[in-house]
Amino acid sequence: MILTSVALISTLYFVIPSVTDAALEPKTFLTHTGLAIQTTGDIIDPIGYTGDLLSLDPESYLRDFDYGTVSQLEDGTILREFTITARDDQVMEVSPGVFYNVWTFNGTVPGPTIRATEGDLVRVHFSNEGSKSHTMHFHGIHKAEMDGVFENVGPGGKFVYEFFAEPVGLHLYHCHVHPVEEHIAHGLYGAYIVDPKEGRAQADELVFVLNGLDTDFDGENNFYGANTVPFYYQHHPVEISTNELIRAYVVNILEFDPVNNFHLHGTLFHHFPAGTDTVPAGFNDMLTMSQGDREILEFEYKYPGLYMFHAHNTEFSEKGWVGSFLVQDSEKNYSDEI
Amino acid sequence: MTKSSNYKITLSAIGPLILLVIVIAFLLGPGTSFLEFGLILPEINIEQIDFVESEIQVIVRNTGTLDVNITVADINDRIQPAAIEPDNHLSKFETALVRIPYDWNEGQPYTVGLTTDDGTRFEKSVDAATLRLEPNIELLGYLGLIGFLIGIVPIMIGLLWFSFIQRLGSNKYRFFLAFTVGLLLFLAFDAIEEASKISQENLSEIFNGQLLIVTVTILSFLALFALGNSLVKKSQFSKISKPLAISLLIAIGIGFHNFGEGLAVGAAIALGHAALSTFLIVGFALHNTTEGFAIAAPMTRAKTMVFRLFCLGLIAGTPAIFGTWIGGFSYSPFATVVFLSIGAGAIFQVAVSIIQYIREENENTISNISILSGIGLGLIVMYFTSILI
Repeated sequence: MILTSVALISTLYFVIPSVTDAALEPKTFLTHTGLAIQTTGDIIDPIGYTGDLLSLDPESYLRDFDYGTVSQLEDGTILREFTITARDDQVMEVSPGVFYNVWTFNGTVPGPTIRATEGDLVRVHFSNEGSKSHTMHFHGIHKAEMDGVFENVGPGGKFVYEFFAEPVGLHLYHCHVHPVEEHIAHGLYGAYIVDPKEGRAQADELVFVLNGLDTDFDGENNFYGANTVPFYYQHHPVEISTNELIRAYVVNILEFDPVNNFHLHGTLFHHFPAGTDTVPAGFNDMLTMSQGDREILEFEYKYPGLYMFHAHNTEFSEKGWVGSFLVQDSEKNYSDEI
Repeated sequence: MTKSSNYKITLSAIGPLILLVIVIAFLLGPGTSFLEFGLILPEINIEQIDFVESEIQVIVRNTGTLDVNITVADINDRIQPAAIEPDNHLSKFETALVRIPYDWNEGQPYTVGLTTDDGTRFEKSVDAATLRLEPNIELLGYLGLIGFLIGIVPIMIGLLWFSFIQRLGSNKYRFFLAFTVGLLLFLAFDAIEEASKISQENLSEIFNGQLLIVTVTILSFLALFALGNSLVKKSQFSKISKPLAISLLIAIGIGFHNFGEGLAVGAAIALGHAALSTFLIVGFALHNTTEGFAIAAPMTRAKTMVFRLFCLGLIAGTPAIFGTWIGGFSYSPFATVVFLSIGAGAIFQVAVSIIQYIREENENTISNISILSGIGLGLIVMYFTSILI
């Protein structure tokens, strides 16, 4: 009957998936458990992604420290000048295929790692090229008017933050405009390091800013990561050497989740809360951090190989906050063996 | 009518259509930007989740107006590597198969999430994972048996009331005919409720489920009405008697209905609600006995032929078998909603035909206590047997 055939035809139209170019080259991808799966379609896999289309660059961010433009004042004080621009109009590929409106300091998330030595005069020339008000609020010791909280810098506005770098430690800076949660969650933050005058022991230094991305604005993070891009260091392992001191500056700026953590495989670290003390607070492979917490981690690897580091909150790690150290045999170790 | 007046009529019919096309072309055409206010959001709908060996398979449809890319798949909010076929780009209305390798556990609930290129995550949950049924002879037989049990067996049993109804006086007979109307009315509303539930739970909003039900129900009513009229008309000139024509109509209407029911039962088995479906089958068997009764009632006033009665039972019952097969092997919420609605429309039409028949037999009125109480009792009996499902 006509009705039945109409129903059948329309059903077929809606039910049967449209068939496009058949006979494509099958592609293969690996599952978490190492199973190789073949498909004639596309692979959606942020873990196995090896392209370089992302506009964010966790690779160079890792060891990139901005010491500013250095000059000396008449009284001998070192002046470090930084130029920081805030924007809120960029849409970046934060994970393969996922585009998100990031708000940035100097065009990246996290913003540049600002580094000074204790007692230096830090001068930040801040300009807001965004469409909303933004500020820079530094953690540390400074005057109230340099706190970046009450002096909102409107669109097109400028402000000069000036303070002495103190105390020694690992701090952070972030936008403090209400609603602060929104300004932080979109990416307006970065690490701020104050080195002791006498310096720290020679080490391979790395920065990990632990963060998340709530790409659908439901108050829960869709992705977690170290230095923004989920799973990045999982498929681009951080290369380090055995028997070499590694110093990791770990900043937790995660929004929405009150607690984040850091777990290291294959070795233990000494950790220094906020990096303000010279005596380690503990020797551990687990670190629990609340929002805004920072820790300096110092560790060495005895054996070469591939070691994971990740949130031991496995929800976070399975949504991107996971990476690996590729530990290579150092010459030192080689000569020891001889 | 002259040629020129024909021409004028055609022009007056097509003229507004041409204007409408021009307006639409203007609105959608290049260079028109004044409609670009407001924000259009991407929307996808996860239509189906199947559990196969070490893999969860998802059918997703782009139900929005924007093209989307599927970028991330997750199980229980944990990101998993996955494949999407034929590709990750979905135009409007297009579907794709997402294959997520996963060692799932039998009976456990799972939520599947898919994220589009703008970072929005869409999800759908399954109460209990169970292995997808693969078509084979054994399953074909099993589903066929279930279709036989819920469709043919109870209807044939119901038909056995035939000789009881045959012995009734005309007043009692009218009562039972009216009783049948009650049964059928209930069945039609039951089907609409079922269709509406399925459309809410499993059909994308874009299909306008509720209006689809209304449209298909009314279309089906009209189609059966036309068929019924021609059958009854023929019965005046041929050997087919009017009661037989009405019984045939009832059987066809119930056949459509049972096809829709079969789809739902087959799907329940395929989706692993096995315990539920055992209960469902018992319920349907009891419930559907009344359908046999409905077919038998008008026939008692025709020339008795057991073979004819048997054929009518088959017309009404066999579609249940095809329904369970199709529902079990390739469940489609859309098809189920459509066929349940066709069944509802057909049954409404049948109820109307019987009421007409009763009126003719009863001096053009139905305001008779035995008729009204018959309809009422029919509804009540159906309500109580429906509780069993």
